[in-house]
Amino acid sequence: MYGWIWRRLPGNAWVRAVISLVLILAVVYVLFQYVFPWAEPLLPFGDVTVDGASAGAGAGREEGAAR
Amino acid sequence: MSSRARSRIAGVISVFGELLITAGVLLGLFVVYSLWWTNVLADREASRQSERMRDGWAEGGAGGPGALDTKDGIGFLHVPAMGDDEVLVKKGTEPKDLNDGIAGYYTKPIKSALPWNAKGNFTLAAHRDGHGAKFHNIHKIKEGDPIVFETRDTWYVYKVYETLPETSKYNVNVLKPVPEQSGKTEAGRYITLTTCTPVFTSNYRYIVWGELVREVKVDRDRTKPAELR
Repeated sequence: MYGWIWRRLPGNAWVRAVISLVLILAVVYVLFQYVFPWAEPLLPFGDVTVDGASAGAGAGREEGAAR
Repeated sequence: MSSRARSRIAGVISVFGELLITAGVLLGLFVVYSLWWTNVLADREASRQSERMRDGWAEGGAGGPGALDTKDGIGFLHVPAMGDDEVLVKKGTEPKDLNDGIAGYYTKPIKSALPWNAKGNFTLAAHRDGHGAKFHNIHKIKEGDPIVFETRDTWYVYKVYETLPETSKYNVNVLKPVPEQSGKTEAGRYITLTTCTPVFTSNYRYIVWGELVREVKVDRDRTKPAELR
Protein backbone atom coordinates (compact mmCIF):
# COMPACT_ATOMS: atom_id res chain seq x y z
CA MET A 1 0.00 0.00 0.00
CA TYR A 2 2.59 2.54 1.09
CA GLY A 3 5.08 1.00 -1.35
CA TRP A 4 2.51 1.51 -4.09
CA ILE A 5 2.18 5.20 -3.20
CA TRP A 6 5.94 5.61 -2.96
CA ARG A 7 6.49 4.14 -6.43
CA ARG A 8 3.95 6.54 -7.92
CA LEU A 9 5.50 9.70 -6.45
CA PRO A 10 7.60 11.62 -8.98
CA GLY A 11 11.26 12.52 -8.69
CA ASN A 12 14.20 10.90 -6.94
CA ALA A 13 14.25 9.57 -3.39
CA TRP A 14 14.72 13.03 -1.80
CA VAL A 15 11.85 14.59 -3.69
CA ARG A 16 9.66 11.61 -2.82
CA ALA A 17 10.61 11.90 0.85
CA VAL A 18 9.67 15.58 0.92
CA ILE A 19 6.35 14.92 -0.82
CA SER A 20 5.65 12.06 1.62
CA LEU A 21 6.30 14.35 4.55
CA VAL A 22 3.91 16.95 3.16
CA LEU A 23 1.27 14.28 2.61
CA ILE A 24 1.69 12.98 6.18
CA LEU A 25 1.38 16.49 7.61
CA ALA A 26 -1.74 17.08 5.51
CA VAL A 27 -3.30 13.88 6.87
CA VAL A 28 -2.44 14.83 10.47
CA TYR A 29 -3.94 18.28 9.92
CA VAL A 30 -7.19 16.84 8.59
CA LEU A 31 -7.32 14.41 11.52
CA PHE A 32 -6.74 17.07 14.20
CA GLN A 33 -8.92 19.68 12.58
CA TYR A 34 -11.90 17.65 11.42
CA VAL A 35 -11.87 13.92 12.17
CA PHE A 36 -10.91 13.87 15.88
CA PRO A 37 -13.22 16.73 16.91
CA TRP A 38 -16.02 14.85 15.20
CA ALA A 39 -15.13 11.49 16.76
CA GLU A 40 -14.47 12.72 20.30
CA PRO A 41 -18.07 13.30 21.49
CA LEU A 42 -18.97 9.84 20.21
CA LEU A 43 -16.44 8.26 22.57
CA PRO A 44 -17.09 8.05 26.31
CA PHE A 45 -13.90 9.66 27.61
CA GLY A 46 -14.91 13.26 28.21
CA ASP A 47 -18.13 13.13 30.23
CA VAL A 48 -17.71 15.08 33.42
CA THR A 49 -21.21 15.96 34.57
CA VAL A 50 -23.67 14.06 36.68
CA ASP A 51 -26.86 13.67 34.79
CA GLY A 52 -29.86 11.50 35.55
CA ALA A 53 -31.18 11.31 32.01
CA SER A 54 -28.06 10.47 30.04
CA ALA A 55 -24.43 9.64 30.38
CA GLY A 56 -23.27 13.14 29.59
CA ALA A 57 -24.42 16.63 28.91
CA GLY A 58 -23.72 16.57 25.20
CA ALA A 59 -26.35 16.66 22.50
CA GLY A 60 -24.63 13.81 20.69
CA ARG A 61 -24.58 11.67 23.79
CA GLU A 62 -28.20 12.41 24.55
CA GLU A 63 -29.10 11.06 21.15
CA GLY A 64 -27.01 8.03 21.99
CA ALA A 65 -28.93 7.49 25.22
CA ALA A 66 -32.24 7.88 23.45
CA ARG A 67 -31.50 5.10 21.01
CA MET B 1 1.98 -23.08 -6.05
CA SER B 2 3.01 -20.72 -8.82
CA SER B 3 5.27 -17.82 -7.93
CA ARG B 4 2.55 -15.49 -9.20
CA ALA B 5 0.00 -16.80 -6.69
CA ARG B 6 2.60 -16.68 -3.94
CA SER B 7 3.42 -13.03 -4.59
CA ARG B 8 -0.28 -12.25 -4.64
CA ILE B 9 -0.71 -13.75 -1.15
CA ALA B 10 2.36 -11.89 0.05
CA GLY B 11 0.88 -8.68 -1.29
CA VAL B 12 -2.42 -9.16 0.55
CA ILE B 13 -0.61 -9.93 3.81
CA SER B 14 1.61 -6.88 3.49
CA VAL B 15 -1.38 -4.57 2.85
CA PHE B 16 -3.11 -6.08 5.90
CA GLY B 17 0.01 -5.43 7.99
CA GLU B 18 0.22 -1.87 6.80
CA LEU B 19 -3.43 -1.32 7.68
CA LEU B 20 -2.78 -2.59 11.21
CA ILE B 21 0.19 -0.25 11.60
CA THR B 22 -1.94 2.60 10.28
CA ALA B 23 -4.67 1.85 12.83
CA GLY B 24 -2.08 1.88 15.62
CA VAL B 25 -0.67 5.21 14.51
CA LEU B 26 -4.20 6.63 14.26
CA LEU B 27 -5.01 5.61 17.84
CA GLY B 28 -1.72 7.07 19.02
CA LEU B 29 -2.49 10.35 17.29
CA PHE B 30 -5.92 10.41 18.90
CA VAL B 31 -4.33 10.14 22.33
CA VAL B 32 -1.99 13.01 21.45
CA TYR B 33 -5.00 15.00 20.29
CA SER B 34 -7.07 14.26 23.41
CA LEU B 35 -4.44 14.78 26.07
CA TRP B 36 -2.33 17.52 24.50
CA TRP B 37 -3.81 19.37 21.57
CA THR B 38 -7.25 19.97 23.16
CA ASN B 39 -5.42 21.45 26.16
CA VAL B 40 -3.48 23.82 23.92
CA LEU B 41 -6.68 25.00 22.23
CA ALA B 42 -8.68 25.23 25.46
CA ASP B 43 -6.01 27.09 27.42
CA ARG B 44 -5.69 29.59 24.59
CA GLU B 45 -9.44 30.13 24.47
CA ALA B 46 -9.81 30.27 28.27
CA SER B 47 -7.10 32.88 28.70
CA ARG B 48 -8.62 34.95 25.90
CA GLN B 49 -12.03 34.84 27.58
CA SER B 50 -10.57 35.45 31.05
CA GLU B 51 -8.73 38.49 29.81
CA ARG B 52 -11.90 39.83 28.25
CA MET B 53 -13.77 39.47 31.52
CA ARG B 54 -11.01 41.09 33.57
CA ASP B 55 -10.98 43.95 31.08
CA GLY B 56 -14.74 44.25 31.48
CA TRP B 57 -14.34 44.35 35.27
CA ALA B 58 -11.63 46.98 35.02
CA GLU B 59 -13.90 49.20 32.97
CA GLY B 60 -16.42 49.07 35.78
CA GLY B 61 -19.12 47.08 34.03
CA ALA B 62 -22.78 47.92 34.19
CA GLY B 63 -23.03 47.67 37.98
CA GLY B 64 -25.73 45.99 40.02
CA PRO B 65 -25.80 42.39 41.14
CA GLY B 66 -27.65 41.17 38.03
CA ALA B 67 -24.79 42.31 35.84
CA LEU B 68 -22.45 39.86 37.56
CA ASP B 69 -23.87 36.98 35.55
CA THR B 70 -22.72 37.91 32.08
CA LYS B 71 -22.21 36.01 28.87
CA ASP B 72 -18.47 36.29 29.46
CA GLY B 73 -18.77 34.45 32.76
CA ILE B 74 -19.48 35.09 36.42
CA GLY B 75 -16.03 34.90 37.97
CA PHE B 76 -12.96 32.83 38.68
CA LEU B 77 -12.48 29.73 40.77
CA HIS B 78 -9.26 29.46 42.77
CA VAL B 79 -8.36 26.12 44.34
CA PRO B 80 -4.82 26.28 45.75
CA ALA B 81 -4.79 22.49 46.25
CA MET B 82 -5.17 22.00 42.49
CA GLY B 83 -2.51 24.55 41.55
CA ASP B 84 -2.16 28.27 41.00
CA ASP B 85 -4.40 28.36 37.94
CA GLU B 86 -7.60 30.33 38.04
CA VAL B 87 -10.58 28.78 36.31
CA LEU B 88 -13.10 30.91 34.48
CA VAL B 89 -16.67 30.00 35.44
CA LYS B 90 -19.54 30.36 33.00
CA LYS B 91 -23.14 29.27 32.74
CA GLY B 92 -23.90 25.77 31.54
CA THR B 93 -22.20 22.39 31.44
CA GLU B 94 -22.59 21.59 27.74
CA PRO B 95 -19.42 20.12 26.20
CA LYS B 96 -19.12 23.02 23.78
CA ASP B 97 -18.78 25.34 26.80
CA LEU B 98 -16.56 23.14 28.94
CA ASN B 99 -14.31 22.43 25.96
CA ASP B 100 -13.16 26.05 26.08
CA GLY B 101 -11.15 25.24 29.21
CA ILE B 102 -13.60 26.67 31.69
CA ALA B 103 -15.78 25.37 34.51
CA GLY B 104 -19.53 25.56 34.07
CA TYR B 105 -22.28 25.82 36.65
CA TYR B 106 -25.18 23.43 36.26
CA THR B 107 -28.44 24.57 34.71
CA LYS B 108 -29.79 21.01 34.58
CA PRO B 109 -30.71 18.47 35.88
CA ILE B 110 -30.63 20.52 39.10
CA LYS B 111 -30.15 24.24 38.71
CA SER B 112 -27.16 25.61 40.54
CA ALA B 113 -27.43 28.40 43.04
CA LEU B 114 -25.01 31.28 42.64
CA PRO B 115 -22.51 32.31 45.30
CA TRP B 116 -24.34 35.53 46.13
CA ASN B 117 -27.66 33.73 46.74
CA ALA B 118 -28.73 33.60 50.38
CA LYS B 119 -28.95 29.79 50.35
CA GLY B 120 -28.18 27.03 47.92
CA ASN B 121 -25.57 24.87 46.28
CA PHE B 122 -23.17 26.35 43.74
CA THR B 123 -22.50 23.32 41.51
CA LEU B 124 -19.67 23.21 38.98
CA ALA B 125 -18.28 20.82 36.38
CA ALA B 126 -15.01 20.88 34.43
CA HIS B 127 -12.82 18.48 32.49
CA ARG B 128 -10.45 16.10 34.25
CA ASP B 129 -8.32 15.52 31.13
CA GLY B 130 -8.10 17.29 27.83
CA HIS B 131 -9.83 20.55 26.98
CA GLY B 132 -7.86 22.43 29.61
CA ALA B 133 -8.16 19.68 32.26
CA LYS B 134 -9.12 22.31 34.82
CA PHE B 135 -10.13 19.79 37.50
CA HIS B 136 -7.29 17.38 36.75
CA ASN B 137 -5.90 17.53 40.30
CA ILE B 138 -9.25 17.27 42.07
CA HIS B 139 -7.93 14.25 44.01
CA LYS B 140 -5.40 16.52 45.73
CA ILE B 141 -8.16 18.47 47.46
CA LYS B 142 -8.45 17.44 51.11
CA GLU B 143 -10.94 18.26 53.81
CA GLY B 144 -10.27 21.72 55.20
CA ASP B 145 -8.74 23.07 51.99
CA PRO B 146 -10.00 26.44 50.79
CA ILE B 147 -11.90 27.02 47.57
CA VAL B 148 -12.18 30.68 46.66
CA PHE B 149 -14.58 32.09 44.12
CA GLU B 150 -13.77 35.55 42.82
CA THR B 151 -16.38 37.85 41.34
CA ARG B 152 -16.01 41.47 40.34
CA ASP B 153 -16.80 42.72 43.83
CA THR B 154 -16.42 39.84 46.24
CA TRP B 155 -14.19 36.92 47.23
CA TYR B 156 -16.33 34.00 48.39
CA VAL B 157 -14.19 31.77 50.60
CA TYR B 158 -15.38 28.18 50.94
CA LYS B 159 -13.89 25.36 52.99
CA VAL B 160 -13.97 21.76 51.81
CA TYR B 161 -15.79 19.54 54.31
CA GLU B 162 -16.36 16.33 52.34
CA THR B 163 -15.16 14.50 49.24
CA LEU B 164 -16.67 11.56 47.38
CA PRO B 165 -13.95 9.92 45.28
CA GLU B 166 -16.31 7.73 43.27
CA THR B 167 -20.00 7.86 42.52
CA SER B 168 -22.31 6.96 39.66
CA LYS B 169 -22.68 9.41 36.82
CA TYR B 170 -26.44 9.17 37.42
CA ASN B 171 -26.14 10.36 41.01
CA VAL B 172 -27.68 13.81 40.61
CA ASN B 173 -28.38 13.98 44.36
CA VAL B 174 -24.90 15.42 44.85
CA LEU B 175 -26.19 18.61 43.19
CA LYS B 176 -29.15 19.12 45.54
CA PRO B 177 -29.46 22.51 47.28
CA VAL B 178 -28.81 20.60 50.51
CA PRO B 179 -26.41 17.81 49.49
CA GLU B 180 -27.55 15.23 52.01
CA GLN B 181 -24.99 12.70 50.86
CA SER B 182 -22.26 15.00 52.16
CA GLY B 183 -23.79 14.83 55.63
CA LYS B 184 -25.58 18.18 55.59
CA THR B 185 -29.22 18.40 56.64
CA GLU B 186 -29.81 22.15 56.71
CA ALA B 187 -29.87 24.75 53.99
CA GLY B 188 -26.64 26.65 53.67
CA ARG B 189 -24.28 28.13 51.14
CA TYR B 190 -22.48 25.19 49.60
CA ILE B 191 -20.19 24.62 46.64
CA THR B 192 -19.93 21.33 44.73
CA LEU B 193 -17.20 20.43 42.24
CA THR B 194 -17.84 17.51 39.89
CA THR B 195 -15.61 15.87 37.31
CA CYS B 196 -14.94 12.41 35.93
CA THR B 197 -12.82 9.70 37.50
CA PRO B 198 -10.61 7.64 37.27
CA VAL B 199 -8.21 9.85 35.36
CA PHE B 200 -8.42 9.49 31.56
CA THR B 201 -11.84 7.83 31.69
CA SER B 202 -15.41 8.74 32.55
CA ASN B 203 -16.64 5.65 34.35
CA TYR B 204 -17.50 7.49 37.57
CA ARG B 205 -17.75 10.99 38.99
CA TYR B 206 -15.55 12.62 41.62
CA ILE B 207 -17.29 15.05 43.97
CA VAL B 208 -15.92 17.70 46.33
CA TRP B 209 -18.19 19.65 48.69
CA GLY B 210 -17.42 22.91 50.42
CA GLU B 211 -19.24 25.37 52.63
CA LEU B 212 -19.03 29.16 52.66
CA VAL B 213 -16.84 30.45 55.46
CA ARG B 214 -16.78 34.16 54.77
CA GLU B 215 -17.04 36.84 52.13
CA VAL B 216 -14.38 39.44 51.53
CA LYS B 217 -15.07 42.63 49.61
CA VAL B 218 -12.68 43.20 46.71
CA ASP B 219 -10.51 46.22 47.42
CA ARG B 220 -8.98 48.60 44.93
CA ASP B 221 -5.84 46.49 44.43
CA ARG B 222 -7.79 43.21 44.31
CA THR B 223 -5.76 42.03 47.31
CA LYS B 224 -6.18 38.27 47.53
CA PRO B 225 -7.71 36.76 50.67
CA ALA B 226 -5.28 35.05 53.05
CA GLU B 227 -6.20 31.60 51.68
CA LEU B 228 -4.65 32.44 48.30
CA ARG B 229 -1.46 34.05 49.56
